[in-house]
Amino acid sequence: MTAKKASLPLIQAQVYWLGALLVSAQWPLWGHILTWNAVAGAALVVARVALPPKWRALTRHRRWLLPLLAIAGALAIRSDLGYFLARDPCVEFLYLLVGIKFIEARDTRDGTLLICLALFLSLTQFFYLQTIASALSMVPVLLALGGTLAALRGAAAAFDWRGQIRATTRLIVQGIPLALLVFVLFPRLAGPLWGTPTEAGGRSGLSDSMRPGSISELSLSDAVAFRVDFNGPPPPPADRYWRGPVLSRFDGAEWRAMYRFVPGKFVPRQPRAIEYTVTLEPHGKNWLFALEYPSALPRSPSNDPLAQAGSDIAYLTYDQQLVAKSPVSQAIRYTQRSSLRDSYPATDEYKREALQLPHNNPRTLAFAKEMREHFDSDRAYVNAVLAWFHKEPFVYTLAPPLLDRDPVDGFLFDTRRGFCEHYAGAFTVLLRAAGIPARVVTGYQGGEMNPDGDYMIVRQSDAHAWTEAMLDGQWQRFDPTAAVAPSRIERGLGAAMSAGEPVPYFARLEMTWIKSLRLQWDAVNYQWQRGVVGFNLERQRDLLRDFGLEDVRPWQMVAAVAGVVFLWGALLLGAARLRRSRVDAEVALWNALCRRLGRAGLTRAPEEGPIAYTRRAGERWPQWSGVLARIGQRYAQLHYGPPDPGREQVLEHMRTDVLALPGPRDLNEGAGPASVAPRQPETVE
Amino acid sequence: MTTLASAGLRTQAKSWKARVRQRVWRLAPGDLERVVLRHSRIYILPTPRGIALIATLVIMLLTAMNYALSLGYALTFLAGGLVAAALLATFRNLAGLAVSPLGAGEAFAGGVLEFTLSLASGARQRIGITVAGRQGLPGSVDLPPGATRPVALSIPAPKRGRLGLGRVSVSSDFPLGIWRAWAYVHFPLTGTVFPAPETGAPPLPPGRHGSFVGRSSRLADTELAGLREYERGDALNRIAWKAVARGAGWYSKQFEGTGGGGTLELHWSEMPAGLDSETRLSRISAWILAAERAARPFSLHIPGTLLPTAQGASHRRAALTALALFPSDSDR
Repeated sequence: MTAKKASLPLIQAQVYWLGALLVSAQWPLWGHILTWNAVAGAALVVARVALPPKWRALTRHRRWLLPLLAIAGALAIRSDLGYFLARDPCVEFLYLLVGIKFIEARDTRDGTLLICLALFLSLTQFFYLQTIASALSMVPVLLALGGTLAALRGAAAAFDWRGQIRATTRLIVQGIPLALLVFVLFPRLAGPLWGTPTEAGGRSGLSDSMRPGSISELSLSDAVAFRVDFNGPPPPPADRYWRGPVLSRFDGAEWRAMYRFVPGKFVPRQPRAIEYTVTLEPHGKNWLFALEYPSALPRSPSNDPLAQAGSDIAYLTYDQQLVAKSPVSQAIRYTQRSSLRDSYPATDEYKREALQLPHNNPRTLAFAKEMREHFDSDRAYVNAVLAWFHKEPFVYTLAPPLLDRDPVDGFLFDTRRGFCEHYAGAFTVLLRAAGIPARVVTGYQGGEMNPDGDYMIVRQSDAHAWTEAMLDGQWQRFDPTAAVAPSRIERGLGAAMSAGEPVPYFARLEMTWIKSLRLQWDAVNYQWQRGVVGFNLERQRDLLRDFGLEDVRPWQMVAAVAGVVFLWGALLLGAARLRRSRVDAEVALWNALCRRLGRAGLTRAPEEGPIAYTRRAGERWPQWSGVLARIGQRYAQLHYGPPDPGREQVLEHMRTDVLALPGPRDLNEGAGPASVAPRQPETVE
Repeated sequence: MTTLASAGLRTQAKSWKARVRQRVWRLAPGDLERVVLRHSRIYILPTPRGIALIATLVIMLLTAMNYALSLGYALTFLAGGLVAAALLATFRNLAGLAVSPLGAGEAFAGGVLEFTLSLASGARQRIGITVAGRQGLPGSVDLPPGATRPVALSIPAPKRGRLGLGRVSVSSDFPLGIWRAWAYVHFPLTGTVFPAPETGAPPLPPGRHGSFVGRSSRLADTELAGLREYERGDALNRIAWKAVARGAGWYSKQFEGTGGGGTLELHWSEMPAGLDSETRLSRISAWILAAERAARPFSLHIPGTLLPTAQGASHRRAALTALALFPSDSDR
């Protein structure tokens, strides 16, 4: 029965609203997408809003020009990124597409499409960043969303932008309780619905290979790798070795992980057991980090027996690596136990792979063989090599010179300038060349206690590489970097580097007020990461348990949500009814009177007005005729008259009169008004 | 109209099925007095734009689930909260609105018949209330709190006879245009549609006093007899424009035509024999208007009705109504 509403042409005020919505959806993506695309997409939006009407003749060529633009944009994105059917190119294309669609938009139906595209576009920013700032960028999107919808509904609403923002704010605020509730209760998935959302292209972190330069590059980043809450005092700096990928295979230049998924044995829990909870930033790889050496599997931080049973998130390999079952694509939390020590029992099984060595770097091999002959034990040899590193003029630097052929030779005997990966790599080669099984361990070394949050921050600048060697049936940790720059281990990167090195800001030692401010900010961010961004299946379960809702079945959850939604609606509508009830009070009084007189035998005819009805009642019960007439007049005055500033008083008089009437039986038995006349100022005409 | 009214009565007496149907669709004119729109009457569904928006939110939710984007959930749910709050706002915009029937107008067949309803806003402001009949342009009003406004509905009137207003929908998609709330009200309002005046109708038949006098009546017409209140349908050149300009109100000039023009007798049977009854009615309708313009009293003689000689708006209306309600050939 509704006539299909024709799509109306867009007026300029509606175009402004759409432009505001599109820009507020577009700008959070700047910096995450191709620069030319960021400029082009925004320029299209600005052009549509700002250009004078005669330049907007583009809309007339929309048949061919705009599809052409879209195809050209798609091809350009394809050629820049090298692929198209993936998440990032689609974001790029959507970003450009809203601009193209906006340029050609003619009527309100185009406006609807643009609203939907813009809303989805504003979601895509969270692929890249989920900070507090990006959460705040939702505010302009939502305000512009409401404003644009209202503007498209009626052109008149498009002009009063202030009023529209106020109205939208009210609606958003009304919706917040509902949104909050659903946010907390909406079932979270354990894994993705489709595909693997692991295209964390730019995410930094340790990789499964190490070549000269890879860790020093990582060390330039202040980004947080993970944060740790210790269950007790934190370990001393020299014990803060966070074990990551273990690299055993060497091709002469690059170290690689073996990926031999053989389960390992945990080290004994004693001595110096320590328990802590790690909040790991997503890095898109499979490994988890633990202090050397883990003595148990990581588990979800809750003490939930259900979550624990049969649902280990990781396992331990033979070389004491913790490998997660799925790539860490979102921030995860796990509680881990370790035993603080520097060695663990070895077996002979994998000795051979720890001795493998290519034939290049001849000077190094010869040097090792010759030096080994001077010592009668492996341990003496190892200590001698460490002493040699300490004695010789090695320089610990973030910017070592490049070496191409025989890099270990070049580093050990020519340049002698290197970062931890150079020292760990060369040291391991020296051990292997002397027949001692050894391998490179990468991970993080160090960590800074945040004074404001009582937790430890481990940053990418703490990335480190060290060596472990099999001596006397034990895998023993050796850190050649400590031999060269002992302060790196004790006090971090900033202490070990000479002035002028590009040490990242947070790795520097001095505690300026800016640094302390930024640490406080980090504490806020940590809570944000833990509480909001990291709100996943586990945290949801934790929260529900805190409220005593342990084994809630899904249907109970749905029922609870439905109930609360109903309550929410009832509250909002009820608030409106409360406001209205004051206005309609006279109706309630009048209805009460009609009911009472009806029970006494005098029903009001449907068409009978208040004056006529009360007069008729006055004829039947003459002793009440005055009171009844007053009630009728006042009701008519209140209900049909113009708005009256004194209505509260009139209402009060009307109430007194209605209450003064006796019940039906007394009325019919001839009861009269009380002898003392009610206080009635005779103001009623 | 009689059929509609009896349908209404029948519904009241009939089975629960019919009662439910009436409650849902309001097909019978069962609303006898002022109707206050309440939740039992108000329907609400998303508009096409609302459907598009909700579909987008579903896609966003799936994306947030797949990529485990907490802030994606947050954005989706906040926008969803906005949509839900808009639902309530749309409902509240309509709930408590009072609709009363005011009246029905008259029209000639082929024109539009105007019905008037009155909207009372009650305690709250009402924005963008659209009132639509089954045909014709919908009317849209904004009401401040405590206001009462008439809303005119123009319904096309193709045929003479009684024309009921039919079911009226009162709707609104305020504030965001993503939900449309509506309620049906069905008042037993009916208007009369007069037969369309025949175009190119023959001149008025000669009056009682002979055609000669009738011819000179135009001269006699020029003598002003007095003023009477303007009534709809009075000729423009008879309006007392001076009085209008003074702000005294609308009057029509009455001319001394009675003596000059002579009394008319509009006879069904005095028309050519070959004419069908609708043409006869149209011609009489045209003649009545012509007589009114010429300020000549007339009497009406059609089968079943006889109106004695008289003059003036109420007489004219009585005559035209008689024509309008003249049973059509199919009725007999």
